Amino acid sequence: MSNQSAPLTYSRVNDDIIRMLEKPSLKWLALFVFDLSVLGIGAMCFIYQVYTGLGVAGYSHPVFWGVYITNFVFWVGIAHSGTLISAILFLFRARFRMSIYRISEAMTVFAVMTAGLFPIIHLGRPWNFYWLLPYPNQRELWINFKSPLIWDVFAVSTYATVSILFFYVGMIPDLAAIRDRVVEKPRKFIYSILSLGWKGSNWEWMHYTRAYLYFAAFAAPLVISVHSVVSWDFAMANTPGWHTTIFPPYFVAGAIFSGLGLVITLCVPIRKIFHLEDYITVDNFEGMAKLIMLTSGIIGYAYAAEFFMAWYSGNPHEWGQFVYRATGDYALFYWIMVVCNVIIPISLWFKKVRTNIKALFVISLFINIGMWFERFNIIVISLSHEFDPGNWGVYKPSLIEIGITAGSFAWFFMFFLLFIKTLPAISIAEMKEILPVPRKGAKQ
Amino acid sequence: MSKQDDKSGLKRRDFLKIVGVIGGGAAVSGCWSEPTDEIIPYVIPPDDIIPGIPNWYASTCTECPAGCGVMVKNMDGRAIKIEGNPKSPINSGSLCARGQASLQGQYNPDRFRSPLYKNEAGELEPTSWDDAENKFVEIINKLKEQGKANKIVFLTGSVSGSLDSLINDFLKAIGGGKHIAYEPVSYESLKEANRITFGINKVPSYNLENADYIISFGADFLETWLSPVGYTKQFSKMHGYDHGKMGKFVYVSPRSSLAGANADSWIQIKPGTEMTLALGLVKEIIDSGLSSASGLGQIRTLVSRYNLELVSVKTDIAADKIKEIAKEFADSKTGLAIGGSVSSASDSSTKTLAAVNLLNYVAGNIGKTINFNSSHSIGNVASYKEIESLVHSMSSGDVDLLITYDTNPVYSLPKSLWFDRALQKVSHVVSLSSQPSETTSFAELILPDSTSIEKWGDCFPQDGIYGLIQPAMNPIYNTKPIGDVILSASAKLELSSSKLAYKNYLEYLKNSWKKIHSANESFKLFDQFWKESLQNGGYYIQRAASDVSLSPEVLSLRFTEPKFDNAAGDLYFVTYPSISLFDGRGANKPWLQELPEPLTTSVWDSWAEVHPDTASQLGISEGDYINIETPKGIIKTQAFVFKGIRPDTIAVAMGQGHTQIGQFGNDRGVNVLDILPNKKDELSGAFAWLSTKVNVSKSGESAKLTKIQMTFSQEDRHIAQSITLKELQHSGGHNGNGHGKSGGHHEQLDMYPKREYQENKWGMSIDLTKCVGCGSCVTACNAENNVSFVGKDQVSRGRYMGWIRIERFFDDGKEFKTKFIPMLCQHCDNAPCEPVCPVYATYNNYEGLNVMVYNRCVGTRYCSNNCSYKVRRFNWYDYELPEPLPMQLNPDVTVREKGIMEKCTFCSQRIIAAKDKARDENRKIVDGDVKPACVQTCPAEALKFGNMKDHSSEVYAKSNDARSYFVLEELNTMPSITYLKKVERDNA
Repeated sequence: MSNQSAPLTYSRVNDDIIRMLEKPSLKWLALFVFDLSVLGIGAMCFIYQVYTGLGVAGYSHPVFWGVYITNFVFWVGIAHSGTLISAILFLFRARFRMSIYRISEAMTVFAVMTAGLFPIIHLGRPWNFYWLLPYPNQRELWINFKSPLIWDVFAVSTYATVSILFFYVGMIPDLAAIRDRVVEKPRKFIYSILSLGWKGSNWEWMHYTRAYLYFAAFAAPLVISVHSVVSWDFAMANTPGWHTTIFPPYFVAGAIFSGLGLVITLCVPIRKIFHLEDYITVDNFEGMAKLIMLTSGIIGYAYAAEFFMAWYSGNPHEWGQFVYRATGDYALFYWIMVVCNVIIPISLWFKKVRTNIKALFVISLFINIGMWFERFNIIVISLSHEFDPGNWGVYKPSLIEIGITAGSFAWFFMFFLLFIKTLPAISIAEMKEILPVPRKGAKQ
Repeated sequence: MSKQDDKSGLKRRDFLKIVGVIGGGAAVSGCWSEPTDEIIPYVIPPDDIIPGIPNWYASTCTECPAGCGVMVKNMDGRAIKIEGNPKSPINSGSLCARGQASLQGQYNPDRFRSPLYKNEAGELEPTSWDDAENKFVEIINKLKEQGKANKIVFLTGSVSGSLDSLINDFLKAIGGGKHIAYEPVSYESLKEANRITFGINKVPSYNLENADYIISFGADFLETWLSPVGYTKQFSKMHGYDHGKMGKFVYVSPRSSLAGANADSWIQIKPGTEMTLALGLVKEIIDSGLSSASGLGQIRTLVSRYNLELVSVKTDIAADKIKEIAKEFADSKTGLAIGGSVSSASDSSTKTLAAVNLLNYVAGNIGKTINFNSSHSIGNVASYKEIESLVHSMSSGDVDLLITYDTNPVYSLPKSLWFDRALQKVSHVVSLSSQPSETTSFAELILPDSTSIEKWGDCFPQDGIYGLIQPAMNPIYNTKPIGDVILSASAKLELSSSKLAYKNYLEYLKNSWKKIHSANESFKLFDQFWKESLQNGGYYIQRAASDVSLSPEVLSLRFTEPKFDNAAGDLYFVTYPSISLFDGRGANKPWLQELPEPLTTSVWDSWAEVHPDTASQLGISEGDYINIETPKGIIKTQAFVFKGIRPDTIAVAMGQGHTQIGQFGNDRGVNVLDILPNKKDELSGAFAWLSTKVNVSKSGESAKLTKIQMTFSQEDRHIAQSITLKELQHSGGHNGNGHGKSGGHHEQLDMYPKREYQENKWGMSIDLTKCVGCGSCVTACNAENNVSFVGKDQVSRGRYMGWIRIERFFDDGKEFKTKFIPMLCQHCDNAPCEPVCPVYATYNNYEGLNVMVYNRCVGTRYCSNNCSYKVRRFNWYDYELPEPLPMQLNPDVTVREKGIMEKCTFCSQRIIAAKDKARDENRKIVDGDVKPACVQTCPAEALKFGNMKDHSSEVYAKSNDARSYFVLEELNTMPSITYLKKVERDNA
C-alpha cells in the first residue's frame, strides 16, 4: 500500500493519512499501557497528596511555588505554538505549517488540558478550586479581579476554548474523508456525527475557508495574550526576579520556542514510524528551526536584559537575586537553562544542522529540558532569595512532585497516542492544497 | 483568687468542684481517657464562671528557681495560657519562654497519670493511691523497724517555703533521714565568695536597672542566670535608651551568648582567666587613684602581682582595653560587676567571684547595686560536695530509701560520678515527680505529684518575696500534690508530730503563712491577708540594700589560676545552660525544643559552637558531625561555625541527650555531662563545669543543621538598622541619616487613595535597642494562637510555623556584632499579599489589620510569595497534637486545617475582648487595653502596641521617634509596625 517513491496524489494522501488510523500495533498498545501505568502512579501521588496534605511536596519556606507551577507554565508555553503554527502562520501564508499544524494543534489542546491540572494540584485545598470561579452564591462571596490568578483562570480557559474549536473546525473536512472511508458501523457513526454532515460542496468550502480565516484572526491575539497573562502571575508580584516589564514578550517568545521544540520532538518519531517523509519534509523542519533560531535569540536577549537591568537599577534585591541565580544554590539549573536555550540553538545558524533531522531531534530535546528549567529558575530561585536575608531558603522537589510531573507527561501522551490512532494527524484537506489539481485522464 | 471578681475562697472551690467534672472523671476511673464530651454541665451554673470568659489565677512559676509570679488563664475549666503577674516584683508582668511553656508540662502526654509501682516483671503498673501510699508507708515502716530511719534521703530540686519545712518536719517525725535540695545550676561559689569577701553567706540580688556600667564575667543574665526575666527587664531599662540615656554593658566571656550579643563590648577572654582580669582591673583602678573605698592598702598588696602586661598576656585582652574598662568602670556613678555562671565555673571560681567582689568593692558598688537583704533562695540548696558524699554513701549501702522529687540527678550529674550505679545499690527508690525522667526510671514506686497549675503551694525565691501557688484547674490525671502525699503518709505512719496533723496541705500552707502574716501584717485579719496574697500572687516586701564591709578573710586569699585537664586535647570546653531547656528539665516540651536558640536559630538538637578559624583547621564546616572527646567520654554533635566564640574554645549547651524523659526529648542531641570530669571548685566544692580541654576531631558524617535562619549577614538590605549615639545626638532628634521613616511615603505614586480609618488603627512599635532576642514572644504567641510545633524533620524542611520569629544578623565587619529583629506580620496598609489573593481570603480591615480568613483560603500561597517580609505560614499538614496537649488550645482562636495560610493577627481575639470590655464599661478603648501575647510577655518591653489614631498613645509616640523606620520602606508597603533603630555605641 505504501508506495513511497510514487508522487503525492490526492488519493495517496487519503490513503497514507487514513492508514495511520488502522488497528493499533502491539507496540502502540505496549506504549499505551506503559503510559497509563505512569499516569496511574501520578494519580496515586495526587490522591496521597490530597489525603495527607501538601507537605508531601518539597515546599520549604519561603519557596511556596515549585514544580507544580513550573509544570503549569511549561505546559501553557507548550500550548502556545499550536495556535501560533495554525493561526499566525496561516495568516502569514507560511506553507511549511501545513504538514505539522494538526499535530501542533493537537499538542496545544492536550497541553492546555495538562496545564489546567496544575493550578488545582498545587492548591492547599484543591476540593475548593471552584471558589476561583465567579459564580453567584448565597454567601455573596466574590472573586478578586485584582489577582493575576483570576486573570489566569480567564486567559487559560478562553485559550482552551478557542484552541479546541479551532482544532475541531479545521478537522471537519478530514473527518468527512475518514467517514467516507471507514466501514465498521460504530466508527462510521462517530465520524458521521463529528463531520457534521460535510459534503465538500463548493458552497461549504467557501464558508469553511472564510470561517477558518476568521478563527485564525481571532486566535492570533490569544497566542500573545495567554502567555502574557501567565507572565503577569509573576510580573505583577513584587518579588525580585519577577517584578519586571520584560516578562510578557519574554514569556511569549519562550512559549513559542518551547512549543516548536516539542513539535519537533513529536513530529520526528511520527514521521519515521508512519513513513511520512513525503508529507513532513525537511523544508518543513527547517522552517521550524528558523523560528527556533529567532525565538532563541529573543530569550537570549531577555536573559541578558534581565541581568543588565538588575545591575543598572542599583537595586540590591534585584542584583542579589541575579547574582544568586548564576552563582547560588541553583547555579547548575541556571546554566543548564542558558546552555540549552541559548548556546545549543546557536548551532541552528548552520543550514547543515537545520536540515539534519537527527540533530534537530536532539536539539529539540535540549530545548524542552532548557525551557522547563527556565520556568523552574524563574519561580523557585526568585522565591528562595527575596528581600529579607533572614528568610532565604532552599527548595528541593520531592518524589511525590516528580511522580505527579511524570503523571502529567503520561496524561499528555495518553491523549496524543489516542489522537494518532483516531484523528488524522496531518491535514488531508490542506495537504491537497499544495498538490497539483488532478486532471481527467491522469491516474487518480 | 480570681482576678475577674472579688470572691470568697469557698465559691472558688465550688467552682473547681463543678468544673472539675471535666477532668475529675479521670480521677475516679483511675486513668486518663478522652476528655468528656459534655460542655460544662451546668444544671446550676456557678456564680463566677461564664462560659467563654476566662478567669485568671495568680500563682508562681516553678520552672526554674527564679520564682516569677504568674497569672494562669482558666477558660471553661482548663488552664490555657500563663502570663507574668504584673504585681510580682521579680518579673512585673513578663515571662520567659520556659514559663510560658509550663503549660506543656501540665498537658504533657508523658506525664505520670496515676501512681505506679514496679511489679515482679520489672514493669511499671498503675495502682490506686491508697495502695501506692500503703506501699510507701510499708517501706518506711520496715526501715523504722530495722532502725534504719536515718538511712532515708529525700532528694529534691530547689524547694523553698512551706514544702521545704514540711519535708523536714516529715523526716524529723520519722526519726531520721536527710533532705537534700540539689540544683545542677547552682551558685555555691558565688555564695562562698560572698562569705569570704563580705562575711555574708548569701547570693544577693543585683540592681541592674540603676547601674550605668555593668561588667559581666560570664553571667548570662539574659538567658538563665539567677532570675533572667527580672534581670532582662532591668537591663532593658538600664540599656534601652530610655529618656536618651543608655548605660554601658561589657560582657567578658569566651563565648558571646545572648549577653555578649547585646553588650556594647564583648571581651573575648581566655577561658578561666576572668579572675586575672578582675584583679587586674582592681589594681588598675587603685593605681589610677580612682577608688575611694577604705582599706585599699591591703587590697593593693593582694593584687600587686596583676600588672597590666601580665593580665593582658594571661587573658588575651589588649592592655589598652583593660585600662579603658578600668577607667570607665571606676568613673561610672553606679557600676556593677557580676559573675558566677556555668561557663566560667572553673576550679577557682570562688576566687574569681571574690575578685569580682573586690572589683565591686573598689569601685564603690556594694550597697548600691548589690543587695544582700533580698538575696536569692537558690543559695540555700545543697552543695555539690553533699551530693558527692550522698553518692558515696549510696554506693556503700548507707542509703536504704531514696525519695526523689523534681530532680534528675541521673541526668544532671557528671557521668563520671556514677550516680546511676550508686542508685542501684539503694534498696528502695521512690519518686514523687510528676514527669518521667532518667531518675524516675529507677524508682520502684511512683507517687506522681500534681503540677503547680493543679496544686497549692508556695515559693520564696528571694528574701522578702513570698510567692503563692494556687490551683488554676483540677488535676487532669490521677495525681496527688506532694504535700498531701506526705501528710497522708504521715497519717498512715501514725506519726505523732503535731506539725503534721493537718487535713490537707492547704491547711498546712495556711498555717505556715500565718507566720508571715503575724510578722508583717498582723494588724489585718489572717483571712484578709490570705485573700489579698492570693490575689496578688504572694506577699512582697521590698528590702533596700545596706552597706557591707570587707571581711578580712579575703585579704588572705591566695588567688590561683584554674587548672585544666590539658592531656585531653587543645580546645577549652565550655558549656552553658540552654535558654530553652535550661539544665535539661525543659527537654520534653515541644515549644521549647522548637524555640530557636537566639544566636544559632537551631532547634530540636545539640550543636557545638566553633570559631571559623578552628573549623578550617579541623577541616569542618557547619553541619559536620564532630567528636568531642575527653578521657571521660566522647560526644558527637554537629558544628555551628561562627565568630561568636574564641578560636581556642568549643561550646555545647546543656539540656539535650535525654533517654527517659519522654517522646519529645528522648534520643536527641548530646548530654555534655557525659564527658565532664568530676572536678570541683577548690573553695566552695561546687561542680567545676569549666575544667577540661577536649580533643575535637571530624567524624566524617555530615547533615544539614536544623535551624530556622540559613543566613548570617544582612547583605546591605538594612533590615535591622542601627544608629550610633553620636549620630543620634547630632541629628538633634530629627531622623537625619536618610535611612529612616520619611513620613509622607510616596503618596503621589499610589494608584489607590490612602486608606482612612475611623476610630482605631492598630500599630506596633519594636525597639531594637531593647529587644535582646530571648524569644519569649515566640512561645507566648505559640500558646496564645494555637501555633503548631512541627518537629525536627519538618523544621529542617522549612516548615517552621512561628508567627513571630527573631531574625538574627551578624555584622559583616571584622568585629562580632549581632542584631536581633523580631519579624511578624507588618499589617501593611498597602499589603502586597492582599491584591494577589484570588478569593479575598486576606484583606485590610477597618482598623488597619491585615485579616486572614481561614475558611475562605483555598491555598494558592500567592500571598506568601508576594509578602516582602515572609511572615506567612502554610499548613502543610493537619498538625495533630498527642493527647492531652489539645487541652491547652485557646478556644478563642481557630485551629487551622491543612492547606491554608496563617499568620500573625495582632491577637485580634484580644482586640475584640478589649473592645467588648470597653463597651460593657461604656467607654472608649484606652491605651494599654490591648496587649497581644508577644507584647504582654516581652521581658525587655521592646514591643508596644496600641492605637495609632490616638495621638497620646505610647505606640504613636514611639513610632514618631527619631529612631523610627519601616523595614523595607522602599517597597511602599506602609507597615503598621514601626521599628526603632538599635542604638550602638561609637567605636571610639
